[in-house]
Amino acid sequence: MRGEMAAMQFGIFTVGDVTPDPTTGRAPTEAKRIHSSVAIAKKAEEVGLDVFATGEHHNPPFVPSSPTTLLGFIAAQTTRLILSTSTTLITTNDPVKIAEDFSVLQHLSGGRVDLMLGRGNTGPVYPWFGQDIRMAVPLTVEHYGLLRRLWREKVVDWSGEFRGALQGFTLAPQPLDGVPPFVWHGSIRTPEIAELAAFYGDGFFANHIFWPPSHTKRMVDIYRRRFEHHKHGAADQAIVGLGGQVFMRPNSQDAVTEFRPYFDNAPVYGHGPSLEEFTAQTPLTVGSPQEVIDRTLGFRDYVGDYQRQLFLVDHAGLPLKTVLEQLDLLGEEVVPVLRKEFQVGRPEHVPDAPTHESLVRAAEQAGESA
Amino acid sequence: MTKLTIVTGGLREPSSTRLLADRLDEAVRAELAEQGVPATSTIIELRPLGRAIMDAMLTGFAGADLEAAFEAVGSADGLIAVTPAFNASYSGLFKSFFDVVPEEILSDMPVMIAATGGTERHSLVLEHAMRPMFSYLHAVVSPTGVYAATDDFGAQHTASGLSERIGRASADFARLLRSCGPRQRRDVFAEELTAMESLLQKATRDDDPGSVED
Repeated sequence: MRGEMAAMQFGIFTVGDVTPDPTTGRAPTEAKRIHSSVAIAKKAEEVGLDVFATGEHHNPPFVPSSPTTLLGFIAAQTTRLILSTSTTLITTNDPVKIAEDFSVLQHLSGGRVDLMLGRGNTGPVYPWFGQDIRMAVPLTVEHYGLLRRLWREKVVDWSGEFRGALQGFTLAPQPLDGVPPFVWHGSIRTPEIAELAAFYGDGFFANHIFWPPSHTKRMVDIYRRRFEHHKHGAADQAIVGLGGQVFMRPNSQDAVTEFRPYFDNAPVYGHGPSLEEFTAQTPLTVGSPQEVIDRTLGFRDYVGDYQRQLFLVDHAGLPLKTVLEQLDLLGEEVVPVLRKEFQVGRPEHVPDAPTHESLVRAAEQAGESA
Repeated sequence: MTKLTIVTGGLREPSSTRLLADRLDEAVRAELAEQGVPATSTIIELRPLGRAIMDAMLTGFAGADLEAAFEAVGSADGLIAVTPAFNASYSGLFKSFFDVVPEEILSDMPVMIAATGGTERHSLVLEHAMRPMFSYLHAVVSPTGVYAATDDFGAQHTASGLSERIGRASADFARLLRSCGPRQRRDVFAEELTAMESLLQKATRDDDPGSVED
């Protein structure tokens, strides 16, 4: 199966929150939550999904503080799944350590790895890693500029404002097949991230959970326009990923009834708008698999043909058993239809979702034509 | 055409806060008309937006009705803001609305402040609560605000001097509106994009080995 090209990749992304189940009041232990993440990732592969992405957080109630450790453990128990992040903090992580960790993960997983970079918006975390949130934007630019060079140049001499200088640094191990992992830039609200992704011709991932579609459309439009401006291809050839959030049962009303307490008490949006209001205003879909299919196919109407769709399915205290049932529905009923339907009318010149194999081929072609 | 938007935080119906807002609206437009400046106005009542304002605070985004209110504020050339005085300050609803408006929506906005209250003893709410908040939001606050107490709306209201205070404040605000002229709205989105582009260009220039200073 490995190396198979897909126009679009489908998968899940997790925050890794330890939240009490509002229907029982019980929270899993940290150990149980970490092992649940592994079970969820393995299930994602089993039901035919393409991607598992983990968040990175450095404070309770979250557990994934060391994403490549988690992803390495999952890599050992999977064969096809692409392992990714949502997001890797480019501000507070040392770019040298990011380069090393993901290079090793690339080799261990046989190239089944990419990453999504983000700034992180939790102020107190920055000083724990010797940084300052007020410098988040210039820090992002400097760290990412260095990370790109570490992955692309054999010997790096570098000096900057936020990190000690490097003299004659060589990354070990070098990226697998000489090709760095594909980089997405994840954004909830700022156009700065769209510009960063467009500037380098990287992928742009819109969170697409917390905001109305009109906002996502605006951000993706900017990214596509700027991608073309920076001469990486036509606007509709830019690499776009979207988040999304679903809860399904075969019978639509059962889904609503079962999900409501999780929605009402969810740490992020609970105690605010009703489930009905939130589903009307944002891409959240709670209902039957067919409703999820219809809603998801509609995303293309406002972002264009895109490359990656990730769903959030395991937050707000949902029990593992329920999450695994969601994955069954995604894998059996939803994603096969989405794969087929998204293919309809998709122009030839729109690129397939990037993989290690496609990047290796592109590098070979660039080498031949050079 | 000068576009005025009035934000009023009154809770009851009829509301003395709304009454004051209407009188200010009329007085300012009359003042502008006298000076040959035609003006239109849009009134935004906060009470019907109460839940939407709290939802926006909790979720970080505004629903359609609240978004329309933001647009009315953002596209205005001048704002008249009226709140009831609660516990020595503006009402929580009034403050919450301005806590969830988009960034820089009030920057360079001429603003007239006004408040209502049970007694005259709360009148400094204008100077101690409203003026600093609007200054913080980068608005240009008109020097004269209007405070109206229950007595001002009572039987002897012609004797209370409210009409003169409204007239004086409206004349000041009209003068401010005229000198500020049509408002240039700031586009924070575009500003962030441009700033990021120049930061990236500078960073990649610095990375070019040809330009490294050793």
